[in-house]
Formats: sequence, structure tokens, C-alpha cells
Amino acid sequence: MLDPVAWIVTGYAVLVTVAAVVGVALRAPRPRWLDQLAWMLTVLAVVLALVALAALSEGTRPESMSTYLGYVGAAVVMMPLALTSIREDRGPWSSGVVAAAALATGVVAVRIMMVR
Amino acid sequence: MKHTTSTGPHLVLLTVYAIFVLAAGARSLVQIATRFGDAPLAYVLSLVAAATYVAGWFAIRRAAAGSPAFAGVMLWVELAGVVVVGTLSLVEPDWFPDATVWSDYGRGYGWVPAILPVAGLIWLYRRPAEPRSQT
Repeated sequence: MLDPVAWIVTGYAVLVTVAAVVGVALRAPRPRWLDQLAWMLTVLAVVLALVALAALSEGTRPESMSTYLGYVGAAVVMMPLALTSIREDRGPWSSGVVAAAALATGVVAVRIMMVR
Repeated sequence: MKHTTSTGPHLVLLTVYAIFVLAAGARSLVQIATRFGDAPLAYVLSLVAAATYVAGWFAIRRAAAGSPAFAGVMLWVELAGVVVVGTLSLVEPDWFPDATVWSDYGRGYGWVPAILPVAGLIWLYRRPAEPRSQT
């Protein structure tokens, strides 16, 4: 169950990253729909976190529990922190912040699969 | 990840630095707390890298606000760290039983640790000059 959800998060994170990079390249103000895509990524990250925690209760024992839990927490908080930091800035480069946070969320989702 | 209000490429740099503060800091603290004896040099260097990213974040923030001197020092220090540790990890692998953030020039992190200070320096030297105050 963990792998399919993690791959969905990774694929969706790549989609958000590409959309945000296109926004920077076009020098366009950050559109509202990009925020909505980013918040949806956070919702998916929360689902991934719940599945990852459920896997623990079903007997999964990662090599390093602290690393595993660190990745799970990071996946959930990164995008909200990034969006909060650019709350009052809708300039083109604020889409770059979304791109960086989305890419990092995707990488963390892959890492969760690798360390579990 | 609170940023300065002025928009620009530094927003992306600040975000990536914040991510690396989290990544390098958490990694080094876990390694030092759980298995310091396995590779003390590597783990201490990862902690140094995390401290450098904290300083780099503040330096870029200050530069974006019009005070570039600290960034002019910190970004070169960070680049020197990546080059020295990356080179040592290749020529003296026995010194590093476990990887640091800067091992192999940051290969474990997609070489972002090597790209980041270079991108920061390019931004620092290409950003528009601050307007002089007229008295």
C-alpha cells in the first residue's frame, strides 16, 4: 500500500514542479490554481504520512526509525511552510518557491520508500 | 522560511537553503546521536554543512535587504567546503567510512550542494545595485 501512494505523491509532485517552473519561465504572476495544486500535494502527503504510520502498526520496522519519521514529517510540512513564506508575494519567482518545495516533497516520498 | 518582502530569484535560493538546513541538520543530528563512533569526521562535517546552510540562509536574506558583505563571505566559504570535502572524499575515501552532505561534491543530494553556492554567487554579483540615498 505504501509504494503506490508514494509513487502517486512523487508523480503529482513532478507535475506541480513542472507547472511552477513554466510559471517562472513565463515571468507570469503566480496563479491561484498553482496554490491549489500545491495544497492538493500537501493533502496527498498527509495521506502518505497516514499510510506510512499505518505500515508501522502492521509490523514494518525501518532500519532507522528516526530517519523514517523525519521523512514522513518533512513530507507533510514542507509545502505549507513554503506557501506561508510567499503568502503576500505573487511575483513570478514565488512560483520558483513552489517548484523547489514540490520537488523536495517528491524526493522525500521516494526516500520514504527507500528507508522503510 | 520567512522571506524578505522584495520578490526575486533569492526567494528560490532561500527555499532551497531552508530545505538543506532541514536535510543536513536532521541527518547529522541523528547520525551524531545514534552512531557517532562509526564515522566521527563525516558526521561532524555534515553538522558543519548544516551550520553553513543556516548562515547562508541569513546571508542571502541580508543581501536581499541591501547588505551583501556577509553573503560575499559565506557563499565562498560554502563553496570551499564543498570543493575541499568533495575532493578529500574522492582521494582519501578511508577518512569517510560514511558519506557527508558534501561527499563526492554532494552526489547523494543530486549535486545540489555544489550548485547552490555557485547559484548564490551568480545571483549576488548580478543582482541590481541598491539605489543610493540622496541627501
